[in-house]
Parts: sequence; C-alpha cells; structure tokens
Amino acid sequence: MKIWLEEIKTVFKECDDFFLQHDYLYNQPVILFGLSTLIDIPQTKKLIEINLNMPKYSLQEVIDHHLVKVAREQNNIIDAILEGKIILYIPDFEKYMIMEVISKSLNRSIELPTNENVIQDALDSFIEDIDTNIGIIRKHFRTKFLITKVISTGIEQEKKIALLGLEAHVNQNLMRKIETQLKEKHDQEIHNAQSLVKTLGFSAWDIVPKYKSTEIPTEVIASLKKGKVVLIIDDFPFALIFPNFLWDMFTTENERNLPIPLMLFIRVLRVIGVIVATLMPGLYVALVSVNPEVLQLELGLSIAQSREGVPYPALVEVLMMLVILELILEASVRLPKSIGPTLTMVGGIILGQAIISAKLVSNLLTIVVAGTTIANATVVGIQNHLMLRLLKYVIVILAAIYGVLGIIVGTVLICAYFASINVYGISYLDYQVSKDESNNG
Amino acid sequence: MDRSMFVSISYFLTHLGLIFFMYPTDIIASTDEAYWIPITLGIIIHFIFLSIYMKGLSYFPRKNIIMIYLSHGKIIAWIFLLPVAIYLIMIIIITIRSYSEIITIVFLSNTPLWAIMFLLVLVATYLSSRGLDSILRSSLLLAILFLPLTLFVCFVSFQNVDWRYIFPLTTNDFRFITKPSYLMSYFSIGGVFLFIGFIQPLFTYKPKKILYTVLLLVPFWIISVYIPILTFGNSTVPHFYFPFVEAVDSIDINWLMFDRVTVFFLLSLITFIILFLSLILWMFMQIITTCIPKFRPNYLLILISFISFVCCLFIPDWKDVEDLFLINSPFRFFCLLIVPPSLLILGIRSKRKEKLENG
Amino acid sequence: MGNTMIKVFFLLCIVLTSTGCWNNKDINHRLLPAVVGISKNGDKYKLILELPVLESDNMKIQIIKATGKSIADAVDWLSMNMDRGVDLFHVKLIVLDKQFAKQGLTDVMSGLMRSREVAPNAQMAICNEDLDYFFGNVQKSKPPTGDYLLDFFEKDAGWTPNIALTRVWQVYRSLHSSTRDVIIPIIQTGKLTEVEHIGSAVIKNGKMVSQISPNDTLLYNAFDGQGTQGIVEVMDLATVLILSDWKSNKSMIINEKPFMKSQLNLKVTILETKGNPSMDLIKKDLSTLITNRFHRMLTITQKKQADILGLGQTFRTKLPRAKLKNWREKYYPILKLDFQVNVDIQNEGFLKSD
Repeated sequence: MKIWLEEIKTVFKECDDFFLQHDYLYNQPVILFGLSTLIDIPQTKKLIEINLNMPKYSLQEVIDHHLVKVAREQNNIIDAILEGKIILYIPDFEKYMIMEVISKSLNRSIELPTNENVIQDALDSFIEDIDTNIGIIRKHFRTKFLITKVISTGIEQEKKIALLGLEAHVNQNLMRKIETQLKEKHDQEIHNAQSLVKTLGFSAWDIVPKYKSTEIPTEVIASLKKGKVVLIIDDFPFALIFPNFLWDMFTTENERNLPIPLMLFIRVLRVIGVIVATLMPGLYVALVSVNPEVLQLELGLSIAQSREGVPYPALVEVLMMLVILELILEASVRLPKSIGPTLTMVGGIILGQAIISAKLVSNLLTIVVAGTTIANATVVGIQNHLMLRLLKYVIVILAAIYGVLGIIVGTVLICAYFASINVYGISYLDYQVSKDESNNG
Repeated sequence: MDRSMFVSISYFLTHLGLIFFMYPTDIIASTDEAYWIPITLGIIIHFIFLSIYMKGLSYFPRKNIIMIYLSHGKIIAWIFLLPVAIYLIMIIIITIRSYSEIITIVFLSNTPLWAIMFLLVLVATYLSSRGLDSILRSSLLLAILFLPLTLFVCFVSFQNVDWRYIFPLTTNDFRFITKPSYLMSYFSIGGVFLFIGFIQPLFTYKPKKILYTVLLLVPFWIISVYIPILTFGNSTVPHFYFPFVEAVDSIDINWLMFDRVTVFFLLSLITFIILFLSLILWMFMQIITTCIPKFRPNYLLILISFISFVCCLFIPDWKDVEDLFLINSPFRFFCLLIVPPSLLILGIRSKRKEKLENG
Repeated sequence: MGNTMIKVFFLLCIVLTSTGCWNNKDINHRLLPAVVGISKNGDKYKLILELPVLESDNMKIQIIKATGKSIADAVDWLSMNMDRGVDLFHVKLIVLDKQFAKQGLTDVMSGLMRSREVAPNAQMAICNEDLDYFFGNVQKSKPPTGDYLLDFFEKDAGWTPNIALTRVWQVYRSLHSSTRDVIIPIIQTGKLTEVEHIGSAVIKNGKMVSQISPNDTLLYNAFDGQGTQGIVEVMDLATVLILSDWKSNKSMIINEKPFMKSQLNLKVTILETKGNPSMDLIKKDLSTLITNRFHRMLTITQKKQADILGLGQTFRTKLPRAKLKNWREKYYPILKLDFQVNVDIQNEGFLKSD
C-alpha cells in the first residue's frame, strides 16, 4: 500500500499545491493529502476531528461505521483529489478514506444574469458549478419527477454533464439518444459547446444552434415542462436546452407574467424585428439598383438625390456600412465596460455624421442600417442574434444580383435551410416536443 | 407520422403557383364566353380523379406508387412509371423555362434568362436534396410568409371589376374541349396531384383533408379567370399573355409602402413555384433512384438538375415552350386519367387475392 | 460524403453567379420622369418628359424632349444622349396632344401595355394647347414641394369629381370593347391657377371624337360610381353640396330597340340660397338641372356613337354577344333612356329655413 502512496506522489510531482501531512487521530498516525488550492485545510482538519472523535469507540469501529468511502483504487483517489476531496490514509489499517471537505470558496455567488435581461421575473442565474446549478433548478422547481442523470466524459479532463428531464413530459426518445450518444463517446473531451455538439453527432457547421442556451433558471424550468431535455455542464454558466426551435427566437419565459395581449404584442414586435433585420439591407440594394420601379416616386427621388455623388454601387455601399456596424458591435463587446460608451459615441455620432457628409453612403442607407441593427437586437438569444446577422448577407448578395426576386428566393433558401435542420428527428420548425416515441422522419 | 396539414399546405401552395399565370390565359383562349363551364369541368375532373387516386392508394397502406407498381411485376412498373417519369422531367424543364420567361417579362428585363433559370434550378435542387420532410416543412414557413400577401392581392384585385362583364353565363358552344389551349390548362389542374402517391411510406395523411384543400382551391381557379374578365371584358383579355398579372397591375392603391403590388404578388407565386419544382424534382428522384439504386442520390440529383438546366437553355422562345406544353399533354392526361384508375384496379385485385388466400 | 459534396457545389454556384453581375443601374443613374407628353408629327413621335428633381430642399422641374419613330425609339435616343438612362416606370401621367388624340391612340396604347414599362394604372390627360407651350409653363412654375401636375389628378390631393380619372388600361380596354368608351380629361395652362381643367374628351375606339364639359364629367363620374361627394352645384335658387349618390339601372329590349330606366339618388345639403325658396322647389330645380344636363350629354355621345357611360354593359344579359358587337352603331344611337333624379335634402346646414 505504501507503493500506492508513492505512485500518487509521482502523479502530483509537478503540482506544488499537493500537500501530504502526517497527523494523529485517536493516537493513531494518519496521513492526510489533497490539493491545498481547493481545500481549506485548518477548517477541514477541525471537521475531521469532530466527525471522527467518538470516545466510546475505537478508530477501527468508527472507520467501519462512519466513513464516507473506502477507496480501493488509485484512479478513484486521483479523481477524488482533483475534485477537491481530502484523502485520509491510516497506515495501520491500510485504509483510505475520501472525505468531504470544507472547500475554498472558488465559486462566485449567484448573481443577476449578465447576458440576458429579465423583466419582472426571478433574477438568479446559473454559475459555473454544476451542483449549484442543479440546486438552483431544484429550488425553483420542487418536484420528485425531475430526472437528473450525471454522465462524465473525457479522459484528460473529466467533465460532468447532467442530463435533466421531467418524467412524464420529456421526449423519451430524445433523452435516450442524448444519453447513449454521450455514454458511447465518453472518451471525447468536451471543452466547449462546439465539442459538445460534435460529441452529440451534429455538424458544427450549422449556423442554426441545435440547443438554446440560457442562464435563467425559469427558462430552463419552462423548457423542462415542455418536454425538452436540459444539459447542464460543469463550468458552463448556462444550461443547454435541446432541441432549439425557431419559435424560441421570439419568446422568453418572463413575458408570460404579462397579460396575453401584451405578450402577443411583444412577440409580434420580435417577428417584425427578425423580418426587418434580415430583409431590410437586401431590400435597399434591390430597390436602389435592380428594381427601382417598386419604390414610390417621391421616395425614389429622394434616394436618388441622396445617392448623388456616392461613388460606389449600392451593394458595396451597403456591405461597407454593414461591416462597419458589425465592427462597432464587436468592439463594444470586447472593450471594458468603462470605455464602451466612448465607442458608441465615436461609432454612432461621429462616424455616422462624417460618413454622410463625406458622401460615402446615402442618407437613407444609414437609416436602413441603423434600423437593421436595432431590429436585430429584438431577437431572443445571442446565438439567434448572430445567426440573423450572418443570414442578412445572403439576402444582400442575392438582392444585388436578382433584385426583389433575389430577396424572395433568399427567403425561400433560408426557409428550406431551417426546415432541414433537426435534432434527432425533431425539426427546428416544430413548436413543441411530443412526448410520444417518434420515428425519425 | 400524420402530416396532413403539411401535405395540404404544399398542395395548396403549389396549385396557387400554377393557377395564376398560365391557367387564365389558356381558359380564356379556349372559349369566349361562360368561362365557368371549362373551369368547373376541370375542377370536377381533378376532384374525381384525385378521389380515385387516393382510394386506390388506400388499398396499399405504407406504400408509394413506385412500390405498388413494382410489386405487380416489372412490366407493369415500366408501363406506368416510364410515362410518369417522362411527364415529371418535362414538367421540370417546362416550368423552369416558362417561369423564367415570365420573370424576365414582368420584372427583370435586364437580367439574362440563364441566370434566372439557374437560380430557380439551384434553389429547387437544394430544397429537394433536403428531402420531403424539409420540403413540406418549408411549405409551412412559405405559407406563413407569403400567403397573406397573395390573399391580400387577390382581395384587392376586385377593385376594378365591372360585374356586368360576367354575362353571358350560358353558352351552347362546347368546342373548347378539343382546343389545345384547353388541354394546356390542365397543367394547372393535374400538375401536382401525383405527389400524394409518393408520401406514403414516409408519412401518412388523411385523404379527406386533401379533398377539403381542393375545395379551398376552387375560388382561386375561378378568381384567376374571372378577375381579368371582369376588369377588362372578354374582348380585351384575349390580347394578354398573363391576364391576371395585367389585372393586378391595374389596381391602384396609394397607401402601400411600395408602388407596384404586382411584383410582390408575382414573387410570392414564384416561391410557390419553387416549392412545386422541388416537389416534382424529388418525385422524379424517387423514381430514378429505384431504377438506378447504385448511384448516390445527391450526385444524381445534381446531374439531373444540370441536365434540365441545359435543356432549358436549348429552348429558344415562348412559342417552343407552348409547343412543349402541347407535347406534354398526352403524358399529363396519362397521369391524370390513367394512373389513378390503374391504382384502383390494382388495389381491388390485390384485395380480392388476399380474400381468396385467406379463404 | 454526398452532403459535403452538395454544399461545395452550392457554394461554387453562388460564387459563379455573383461574378455575373450585369447591367444594373443604380437609381441615381436613372432619370425618372413623372409625366410624359406625347405628340405626333407626321410619322414621328415627339416625347416631352417632365422630371421632378430634388435639389437640396425644394423640387425643381426639368423638361427634356426627344423625337423618334416610336416611343421606345425616342426613349432610347434619350438614354443614349443623356448621362443617365431613362426609365418610364415611374410615369404617373401621360399627357397627349389634342391633335394626336384625334388621329388615334391605338398604337401608342398597345405599345404602352405591351412593354409594361409604364404602369397600366398611370393617368391619361389631353392637352388643349401645344405641348411645348404647356410644359414650358409647367417648368416655369417652380412648385415648392411635390409635382402639382400629379397632385392635380391625385384622388387624395387635388382631384375633384369634375375631373375624369382615366387610366392607361381603361383606354386600352376601350380599344377592344364594343360596349365601353372612355373620356379623358382635357387640361391647359390656366390663367389664374397653374393648370385648368376644361372638360373631357370623348374617346371612341382610340380616337377623340367629341368633348364634354366639366359638369358633364361630374355626371359621368356619378354614373360610373367614382363618387360625387363634396361637389357644389349652383342653381338659380340655391347652391347645394352633394353628400352622396347612388344609382339604379334597368334595361330592356323591346322590338330590337333598347330601353333603359335609370335613377340617380342624390343626398344634398344646402349651402346658400337666393331669397327664400322652399325645399321642394330646390329639389325640383336640382333634379331638372341634372336631368337636362344628362340628356344633353347623352345626345352628344349618341350622335358620335361613343358609349362613354358603358350603357351597353347593362344589355349584356339582354343581347347575345354577336349583336352586342354592333351595339355602338345599331343600338346605342336609338337607345331611349328614362333618367330620373331623386333628391333628398339630408340637412339644411346651420340655419332653419321654412
């Protein structure tokens, strides 16, 4: 058994935060070891003493009775160390104990959601710790019907993935497929959502996300009730909801706290937003360069006047403006919050004014581009937002070639693309998950 | 899986796409009064043969027409499937060619014809490469996006009607039945319904719902002919190539954001035509892949699209398109009038056999 | 993988098509005339295009002229010789020379409908004077905003029911129809206002054959269902405002002769009176005024065999199509029409009268 200890020592040879302490318990020599960066050692020692100090019994009895886990294999020990447990080794009995510890508080506290906005709803959001996340869900959703299956994958780095579903609601087929897929490919390393999608057997090139990611527990609970499957992954401060639907682009859970007409109003606005965001720049190109007969005469004249002296064709003009705006958007994400507003000012006011007076683009285009960006922001979910930002270029290019026909055909293409996307047979265009077994269509 | 709604929607949309362009022209050319007689005749034929077709198919649950014919021997399969295949590929070529021409005439006079044909082929190929499920599902999206617009235009197209043009309502002139243009009008009547026979093993549908869809389509067949008649009168309409387009063009709405409503109306119809093309292409692929199972379906699809694109390039003018329509007529009537009864007969026979075998 | 293959194929296709950008002119490289004047000298068409041009804050009107063997030829010549292409698709009004209208419009109308460049719902008008003179005055006028020639015919703007609203497709329809002729408004440079409306031209088979007054046009619009609301009628005894109207027709054929009974119901309100006439008197006065006016208009058009009111339409159920083809020549001139006007005084304004 001493050899094991030596082996573990060699495994953690390069880790300076690995500690090994000799101590006495019941006058027996014991060895404690673990990672000091994860464990609050003095507190833990106190805990061990309180727990194991039973004057009536001998240590042998206490261990047999009270111990948390008797470790038999080396790998288990290493895993336990990495998880932040402390190992208690009693040389006389040649027994290991993996003990719960008072860990150093490495998790942040539960805070407001930062990537999504919630109006009038529970304000907590997921954090990086998987147990906390499941705990939050349990707290919001007290039911015995919640299925939680924890699967770990990866060799180099073990990752815990929790599969959540609601008994009697969940689509069994989907749940089983995800589970088997994850178990079959348990050797895959999952570092990010891309590798997760690959592990689940989807193409990582689809721009439509297969899952809806959210950091809001109420959203997760609503999805569970709808029969969807939720994946919570260790170190991901958000939950992945499978499958993702087109309709999810227009709905959030917290607007269900509003009266139905107001809810519908908001959703209709989002639909309009999506249509405007994808079609407007294309429409501008089409109307200005290919099909001006569709414009009202007065509008046509004012566009013609404001384009007077613009050296570029409409396509270049629009692409230039769109790219600049994309850059501003991206830059404002990158910059620290303190400099962010400066950028908005530089981008919005100075550049916007200058670009018109420099006659690089027409007045109307700035309105179109601004409208597009604003409309784009109405959509729910950052992934959907990015997807629409990308899709509008397809329309713009087709519009430059074929005019209004190009826009319409582009729409058909996008519709066809959306229609062809499915998660294990559940189409992106569905609006609910059926709980019955569905064959793969 | 029951996909009645999707099947009905795509059935509806594809017919709308076919109705509003050529159908009024053909009907108006075939007779000069009482247009409702040829229209109703067409609708009744459509309705009866569709019911026969679905009745025949119902004898073979979970089988499409290729499987049905093949199960009755290779010869029967060849006899029935070959004309169907020829009909389908001709329809693909004709539709692409004629609708590209319509697009150039109506709103893209500067764009070369090949580019438009290419676009249509490309999108249709993409759609059909994604399979029937995608086609059906995208038909739902297209319906949500474009159907309101189409219906709106249909509604406002009543703006300029003079109801007195509806007279005379009767005629004793039934020569239209033999007119080539009347035969051509069946392109919009018998164009799509074969596809009902292809969905079976993948999905199920309720025949009743399809028949209701046909009932919903009836007003559009009538509107497409009567709106131009009521707007221009029956002595002016025969001068137009696309009477309905012309009638929509004469609408005057100045509160809309855009100037020419027609363009948007036509474009929505074009999307329905793309849907139609992809469906036909998919059906054709189903037949071809059972004949040549060795090839990868996707390569074959590209090859076929390419061939039909090249064929389209070789059709020089509108006259030839019309000739092709005529040449296509026998095949069309084969699909419309012979395929459904044949299925019914095969169905009854196999049922009898089953009964004999079961004692 | 077939799937990757197909994706690559589509990408290639998109790249290939995007190289094929053809001659798409941006909107600022096109001239967009709003009004076109057409006249004919011998076998040459003369085209006068009125282009509204926005310049900083106000609208300027530019006039360009061209001649050619056909309209398309003239437009083509212009495109060739201007720095921009000329596109007729925004033309809202076509002004025809009066002499030209008398010679016949058939070819021009067919051409317009065939090319579809000009929208079929563009307005038509006939100019009573030389087109050069007329458009010269238009150019001088310098409107603050908008194009008044267009607004003149705009139903939401300057139009009144005294002006006929006739569109390209209606004129085209009349070329082929045996029971329907049209009228086209006649305009000229005004003395007090910029444009003056002096009545309507009666067009039969694409030729101008006669002329009717603005008051007759009002009746035409009432009969056609274009509405006569808000029109002031001046009589000997009073001035009234027509609030609404509806009409009913009855037609019959007796001994191969067409008869028609037509009733026009008007609802009016009184604006001004001379003296103190009774309501009955006003009613009677108004109805005789309109009846007389109507009969005068009918006689003129019957003489010219131009059925502008589309009266033949009501006989579609009574006459077979073969006979209807001769409607203008055989039946219309001998049509007897019993026209009745029924006046209701809806209110009398703010003052009581007894």
